[in-house]
Amino acid sequence: MLKLERRIQRVQPYLLLAPSLLILTVFLLFPLIWNVYLSLHDVTFSNILKNWEDVGLMNFADLLSDPDFYSSLKVSVLFVGGSVALQFLVGLVIAVLLNQQVRGSNALLALLIIPWTVSAVITGFSFKFIFNDDFGILNYGLEQMGLEPVAWLSDPGVVVWTIVIANMWHGTPFTILFLSAGLLSINPIVYEAAIIDGASKIRGFFYITLPLLKPFILINIILITMWSVNFFDLILVMTNGGPLFASTTGSLFMYREAFEFGLLSKGSAVGIFLILVNLVLAYSYIKLFKGNKSAVEVKQA
Amino acid sequence: MLLSGPSLAPFMTAQAQQGKEITLTAIAAEPKDRWDALFADALKVLRERHPNMTINIDSRVLPYADTRKQILTSMAAKTPIDLISVDQIWLGEFAEGGFLSDLSKLAQTWNRSSEWYQTNWNGGIYNDKVYGIWAWTDVRAMWYWKDILNQNGVDPNSLKTWNGYISAAQKMEDAVKTNGTQAMHLVGASHSPDMWYPYLWMLGGEIVEQRNNHPQKGTYWFPTYNSTEGVKALEFLRDQVKAGIKPQRDHFWGQEFADKKFAVMLEGSWLLGHFNNSEWNKLDQRIGFIPAFPVPKEGDASATMMGGWILSIPETSSNKELAWELLTIMVQPDVLAPMLEKYGYLPTQKPIGEGVYSKQLNDTIPYYKDMISMIGIGHSRPSIPEYPQLADNIRQAIDEVYLGLKEPKQALDDAAKESANVLGWS
Repeated sequence: MLKLERRIQRVQPYLLLAPSLLILTVFLLFPLIWNVYLSLHDVTFSNILKNWEDVGLMNFADLLSDPDFYSSLKVSVLFVGGSVALQFLVGLVIAVLLNQQVRGSNALLALLIIPWTVSAVITGFSFKFIFNDDFGILNYGLEQMGLEPVAWLSDPGVVVWTIVIANMWHGTPFTILFLSAGLLSINPIVYEAAIIDGASKIRGFFYITLPLLKPFILINIILITMWSVNFFDLILVMTNGGPLFASTTGSLFMYREAFEFGLLSKGSAVGIFLILVNLVLAYSYIKLFKGNKSAVEVKQA
Repeated sequence: MLLSGPSLAPFMTAQAQQGKEITLTAIAAEPKDRWDALFADALKVLRERHPNMTINIDSRVLPYADTRKQILTSMAAKTPIDLISVDQIWLGEFAEGGFLSDLSKLAQTWNRSSEWYQTNWNGGIYNDKVYGIWAWTDVRAMWYWKDILNQNGVDPNSLKTWNGYISAAQKMEDAVKTNGTQAMHLVGASHSPDMWYPYLWMLGGEIVEQRNNHPQKGTYWFPTYNSTEGVKALEFLRDQVKAGIKPQRDHFWGQEFADKKFAVMLEGSWLLGHFNNSEWNKLDQRIGFIPAFPVPKEGDASATMMGGWILSIPETSSNKELAWELLTIMVQPDVLAPMLEKYGYLPTQKPIGEGVYSKQLNDTIPYYKDMISMIGIGHSRPSIPEYPQLADNIRQAIDEVYLGLKEPKQALDDAAKESANVLGWS
């Protein structure tokens, strides 16, 4: 009897984990393995119902010799860098301001969350019209002020920043929400002690708020970085990657190769590459997070 | 109907299905109204022919950009679909992938192929097999607002040549700007090659041609759009930009012309659909039509691009015989002609284009005769599996020229090099 109980106790955690593991296997692991399998074969729309030739790493070699792929990586760096920097900075400022116990700040927080709840496709269409070179409201405003209109969507040097702005509007509410939760976790006694010791509000922000908020900041940055790397629907709607690939990010490049040109294996190879990029970034952030966690703990001690 | 071969087995099941309830599934491209009208009329006839069967149609009408992807993913997943609308440029890709049923034998028994205009019948053929029936077509031509041209002293005949077209644009540009109107429309969207091809064709150039000594396939397609003709055609687009005509990234398929945002627009015959049918009888008083793209010099022959929709039966269909019957009813002149009349599309078959129905269409659709006359100078794009990539290469070349980054020859040579790689020539 005791033996049976022990056996049940030993198996119980696995049984409890089984549903989650099953979901992870079906929806995460299997697609990942399938993607790897596709990337090692020659699958296109034209031969998908025929035999798939095993081509080894040819799709990756093909990818690495494609100048458009490098161009998409360059665009990705600008898009991800710009989006993360702006979303984080603007989100942090707004979260700190909302945390100042001002009347109505909760209602304002609820309002500020709205852009995040709007689908990226709708955001894309809205900004496409706002930034339209000819009849967009932004250029209309510039012209009313006597300024030259800007080719927001048709100038290859400008377009990536246009989509960064649209993505900032869409993604910043998450940072506001996440960092607001982080700010609420800081004990007000710490600030009171600092004021008694003569610290100004600005010093309090840099020496108390930021260090104690670091774990939240790092998780926030991990998430918005990964989302920005994988983000493509807003760009697809706003520019479809143009003009001249100037707004084709890695994820959009993957989508176009797979679904516009029917090169499913090459698209899968890009997908694998993006997974690796995400893993490297996540690993780097986690390493950083662990280092910072101990630093904060030391400070708190 | 005698047919053989295992893949044709579903063709033989309609008789056995008597008395059953059958739902035919279809995927088609927007706009939805035209399909709803056509399916309803065809279904009525089909039901009359099979009184013992309960037949329904479950159709999904999708935006153009999504249709190809939806069809391909459905076919790849072997989802049973009975009828699809296929853009002519997709046919090669779909047929090569084994997604479409070979309709050659059925078409032979049907015996209506000689009633189609040759170009339009050929549009449904890939590797000598019939994979679809081209139901209706459209042509791109020149539309203009008569009052705007009048006010600016522009003779519509001057728009017929390249120099005249550019001079007219320069003459009108500043004057029309104050009303929020632009002189000429120039497509700068993802399908900008479609508006460049007519200039290539009118000069005698081709997008691709078959060549020998392909490394894998023996004889295969080779990109020839970077020929002298191609360069000259692209130079005309460059000259338009230099003259102040702005490439439009957003294309609203004629709505912008109907809204008087442009004085002159090269647009498909579907542009009429942006005006109410009740306005059609007096439309020629306000809007002018030139059945041509501008030509290099007076007397040169023009060219245009033909589009429209092909109806095909996917290989995955489980009701192929019934689907074929539905398809043939949909292209019956008495069923199809009313839809063409209502939406302003052009016929692909002579009984509608030249027969008894033509008078009615001519009386209803403004400039119908002029449009029909363009079928003779109409060309179609190559329906080869690699076409989407080739079109993207050409689009890149056009964008580079629009942005002044490359000269037309350099841009086209670079694009053709990429296209040659795509077609497996290296």
